[in-house]
Formats: sequence, C-alpha cells, structure tokens
Amino acid sequence: MNRILSTVAWLVVALVGAGGLSAIALSRGEPVNGVFFVAGALGTYLVAYRFYSAFIAARVLSLDATRATPAERLDDGRDFVPTNRWVVLGHHFAAIAGPGPLVGPTLAAQFGYLPGTLWLVAGAVLGGCVQDFVILFFSLRRDGRSLGQMARDEVGRRAGLLAMVSVLAIMVILLAVVALVVVNALKHSPWGAFTIAASIPIAMLMGVYMRFLRPGRVLEASGVGFVLLLGAVVGGQWVAHSPEWARVFTLTGPALAIAVIVYGFAASAMPVWLLLAPRDYLSAFIKVGVVLALAAGILLVRPTIHMPSLTRFVDGTGPVFAGTIFPFCFITIACGAVSGFHALISSGTTPKLLTRETDARLVGYGSMLMESFVGVMAMVAACALEPGVYFAINSPAGIVGATAEQAAATISAWGFPLEPATMHALARQVGEETLLNRTGGAPSLAVGMAHIFSNTIGGYRLLGIWYHFAIMFEALFILTVLDAGTRVGRFMVEELLGPRFRRALPRGSWKGTLATSAIIVAAWGYFLFQGVLDPLGGINSLWPLFGIANQILASVALVVATTILLKMGRTRYVWVTLLPMTWLVIVTLTGAWQKTFHPDARIGFLAQARALEQQIADGRVPEAKVADTRHVVFNNRLDAGVTLLFALLVLALLGEAGLEWRRILAGRAPASLTESPYVRTQWAGDAP
Amino acid sequence: MTGRLRAALRRAWPVTTLRQAWRFVREWSGDAAYETYRARGGGGSVPLSREEFYLDSLERRYGQPSRCC
Repeated sequence: MNRILSTVAWLVVALVGAGGLSAIALSRGEPVNGVFFVAGALGTYLVAYRFYSAFIAARVLSLDATRATPAERLDDGRDFVPTNRWVVLGHHFAAIAGPGPLVGPTLAAQFGYLPGTLWLVAGAVLGGCVQDFVILFFSLRRDGRSLGQMARDEVGRRAGLLAMVSVLAIMVILLAVVALVVVNALKHSPWGAFTIAASIPIAMLMGVYMRFLRPGRVLEASGVGFVLLLGAVVGGQWVAHSPEWARVFTLTGPALAIAVIVYGFAASAMPVWLLLAPRDYLSAFIKVGVVLALAAGILLVRPTIHMPSLTRFVDGTGPVFAGTIFPFCFITIACGAVSGFHALISSGTTPKLLTRETDARLVGYGSMLMESFVGVMAMVAACALEPGVYFAINSPAGIVGATAEQAAATISAWGFPLEPATMHALARQVGEETLLNRTGGAPSLAVGMAHIFSNTIGGYRLLGIWYHFAIMFEALFILTVLDAGTRVGRFMVEELLGPRFRRALPRGSWKGTLATSAIIVAAWGYFLFQGVLDPLGGINSLWPLFGIANQILASVALVVATTILLKMGRTRYVWVTLLPMTWLVIVTLTGAWQKTFHPDARIGFLAQARALEQQIADGRVPEAKVADTRHVVFNNRLDAGVTLLFALLVLALLGEAGLEWRRILAGRAPASLTESPYVRTQWAGDAP
Repeated sequence: MTGRLRAALRRAWPVTTLRQAWRFVREWSGDAAYETYRARGGGGSVPLSREEFYLDSLERRYGQPSRCC
C-alpha cells in the first residue's frame, strides 16, 4: 500500500514539474506566470534528487553509512566536527551561493526566458549537482583534501600544479568581475554608495563587539548590525535628497573602482576579525533571508513574465553581451547551473563536518539544487520587467545611447516598446537619477526584486526602499566575496612564490601581508579598471571571461572525478561525470575560441583590437582619446591571452588525465586510490 | 506555575520546534561553536579561551576558499 502511495505521489511531483516546464516552453506570445517557473524547477529538482542522486549514491559511489567520516575519526572540535546534516547543508549553501546565480541568469535573459531557465534546471541536475556531490564524496574519503591535492594524488603532479594555477587565475578574473558589478550598481547613486559605505563602520563595530566585548557572540552582533544596516538603507534616502551629501556620495565609475580597490587591499591586509568576518556574518544572514523572502514573494505576487521565451538576440547581436546562444548562454549562466568554484568548497570545510558518509548526498547534491533555484528566481525577477526596461538598464551607452530618448528609440526599433517617460518615472520611483546603461545585471535584478517585494509589503511608495535594500543585499555579499577571495588569493600567491619568498617574508609578517595583498589586488584591480573604462560597459568582455574560467574549473573537477571513478573500477558508470565534463569542455573551448578569434569585433577580442587600431590609423579617433583607445587595444590583446591560457590549462590537464585513463583502462597502471582506510563508525543509531 | 505544568509546556511542540530552530540558527551561524568545542573536549587539558578560539576559528576559516561566486 505504501509503495503504491509513494509511486502515485512521485508521479504527481513529476507531472507538476513536467507541466511547469511545458507551460513555459510551449508558450508563444501569451503571458506566462512566474509560478510555472517555480513549479517546473521544484518538480524537476525533487525527482532528480529522489532518483538520480540516489542512483549516484548507491550505484556509482556506493556511499557507506557504516564508514566513519573524517569528522568522527579526527574530531578536534575545531576543523573536524561531526555536525547535524541540516546545519552542514546551511553552511554549504551559504558558502556556495554568491552573486553568480543572480547576475548570470539576469544577463542571459537577453536571449529570452526559455534557454536560460532550461539550462539552469537541466545543467544543475545533470552537471552542477553531480560535480558538487562527487567532489564532496571523494574529499570525504580523503580526510577533506582539497581539489588541487586530489588532482596531484590521483591524476599526477603536473595536474596538481595546473589545478592550482587555474584556481588562482580564475580567482583574479572572478574578483574583477564581481567588483565591476558593484561599481556599475553604485556609480552615480548616492543612496546606494552611502548604504554600502555605511556597512564598513557597521561591520567594524560588530568586529570590535565580537572581538573584545562579547567574543564569538555572532547572533548578538549580527542583530545589532542588521538593525544599523536597515537604518543606513533608509538614511540613504535622506543623503540622496541632501544637495551637499549627495555630491559627496555621487561617484563616477573610475572613482568607485579606486575606492573598491583600496577597500579590497585594506580588507585583505587588516585583521580578519575587524572587517572581513563581521561583514561575512551579516551578509550570510541577509543572503539567506532575502532568498527565502524572494521565493515567498514570487509565490504571493505570482508575477507575469513579460520577456518573450526567445528574443531576436539568440543570433549573437545582443546588447547586454555579444555572442550566440551556443556557447554564450551556458557560459553566462555559469554558477546557477554548474560552478567549478563549488569544488573548492566541497573539498574544503564541508567534508570535515559531515557526520555520516550518506549525508554527502543531501549536502552536495541538495545545496546545488537550492543554488539553481536561486538562479531560476533571478530569471523570474528579471523577466517580470517589461523587456524595454530590461534592455534600457542593461545595455551600454555605446549601443543604446546615453539619454532616455535615444535608448527608447533604439530599443523600440528592436521590437520592445519603450517610452522615455517610463525610464524617467522608474528612476524617480526608485530614488535614482537614472537607470539607463546600468550594466552588470545587479540594478535590473534589484528593480525586479523591488517590484516583487513592494507588491508584497508597502506598495509602490516603498519601491525606492526595496530597490536600495536589494542593491545593498547584492553589493554586501559581493564585497564579502571580494574580501574573502582577496585573502585566499594572497595565500595562493605565497604558495606559488615558493619557500624562498615565505622564508624572506613569512606569513603573518606585515611586509609579507602587504606584498602579497598588493600583488593580488593589483591583478584583479587591473581587470576591474579595464572593465570600467571599456566603451562597451566591461561586462561584455569580463563576464564571458569569468564564465569561461568558472566552467573550466568545473571541467578540471570533473576530470579529477572521472579519473577517480575509473580507479574505483566504476567504468560502467563513468558517464555520470564524463558526459557533463565533455559538454563543459566543448562549451568552454568553443567560447574561448570565439572570444579570441571571432571576426565580429563585439565578440572576438583580437577583432576588436584590430578594429580599434584601424580607427586610430584612419584618424577616426579624436586626438585626445588616442591614448585611451591604445589602452583598450592592449586590454583586448591581454584578454585574448588570458582566454587562451585558460583553454591551454584545461587541454593540458585533459592530456595528462587522458594518459592516466589509458594506463588504467589498459591495465598498465595499478589503480591505486589514496583513500583513507576503512574505520567502522561508532554511531550505530542516531548521530549527533 | 507548577513543576508539572512547566514540564508539559517545555514538551509542547511549538516550544520544542522553536528551541530546535534556535539551536539550528546558533549552530549554523557559529554562535555555538565554542560550546561545541568545549563539549567535545577540544584542546585537551589546556583548552583555548573563548576569545582565543574565536580568533583561531576565523584564521582557519578565511585561510581557504570560504565564499563562492
């Protein structure tokens, strides 16, 4: 009887998922409701979790509930702590969920809602969740070893080095692009700039509280910090209306870029308790709270989707970023479907906390499903905007013009009607001077979220507060990624510079800290500045570069996972990691090739460099701008070099792994695994 | 309030649910980390003070990738 009930229940779930996806896929012209996106995604996730992840857990990985985890064997109450699996799920989700699943789908909405949504759901259940799950499991079996260590141990020494260089290079691009998103969201916005500036002393106050007054009392400090931050959001309105203060906080792109670079350097070099940690606590609470509130808001408001399922920009001529749907939709969505960076978290803190080996399924596979759902909600929020408004916010001035009249004329000519008055009114409602040309995804997402939130609480009178709350939420956790990433990048630079450097400037010495902070900040700061000065808005070149880098890291993780599966003798099931790996390699290499060599100057870096050089040679560039244009030419060549470097890294790793796979399959190499020996768990019944 | 009434209230589901939720939030946020450390006998006979433990845990956490994109 129970079996029949269960079968019927799962059939209903599957039908709800299929119904939701069919409704959004088959709609042609008639309005679609955001609830169908939620139903389609949730139904698919539940079925995938129940059946596909169970298959991977039982057949492919053979999770063993009787085997003691590192948290149990090495329990020291600090790094290795057996922890409730729901708590670990919360930790892991808070660690992996960053700006990527919010910004990527918002940008990819230029193709229409359908391609991005389908990839968010399918890419996650077949690729991203699998990667996170298997890497977590393999690290769990190796006492929490990192991805780089596993690459070295299981694939080869060169593979370890390649993985480490990939991670550092990707970190630099990641930090630059997230910093650019913040700069584009805050430029010429005194309200937003004030709120984020205020978050720095608030975080420092929390830091002092948790360091000296009440050590480690995270909840008390976060509660105080949250109230103060809400005060800053509301107070920002007053700043924006005050002529004197508005002038102080109205910053241009380059000025904000310098401010962010100085901030990143200071946050990386200062004691971690003073700024980085308190900001991180605050951001984690707000992040989880806003994600839950957005889900509730979508269900309550049930927004109508105004974006068509497919737009004319699938042909590669999109104003938000250039490039055809393949491969650029996949590269742009990135983290919401598959994120290589998650492999670093899955092989970092998380495996040291799992109480049971079987918990890896919930934490690894389950938390990536949650991240994918965040991406779907971002897609709903972006596509609930009128398409004309979406394109006006996300397109650079170089394409749609810098005034509402020019933008309305250009965008209306594309078939998305837009009145200049609409943009003026919207800017006034959200308390901004203008919302035109705010590339980067964050402002349009904030407008979408503000509409959903204000329809739930407060109505349109609170649209400005909700908009700036959303901007604060995005900027706050992006800056947390920047702080934490710069600090980790600093340690990676130390490792790469080798023992001689560490002997000369040991970790903890102020000279060493300043030197390594300067190196890593200079690296991402350069790319940030390049993006700020880019006439096409920066996102057009940097976001695809970030997407390629991120997906290449995912390929690296799946190469390592495939090697381990072969060594485990699971050749029959190797397709579980081999298929997503192959897809990602095809997507990233195609993307890298097109971004480097495509003849269209908006897509190919080298073509753009040649086109600009030709303009200089023909005298079409004003004398005053020749030096700047030469910089842009150089930057395009640099971006082409970086893109090729990423492609070469993944090809080199594939070559290295391919040789190892051949040796294993031909029986020439002993399939020796570096797993920790089996120890039986002491918990027969309930674990802590 | 009698002891029996107090015990019954403590067992009532809204109270136990709230208590579990509070415990979850404390563990998830790291607020309860020091108590967990002490309960597990961390540090052996010379455990770290609350302040030392807090600083040590921050250095460990932010010495490796802890926040993603």
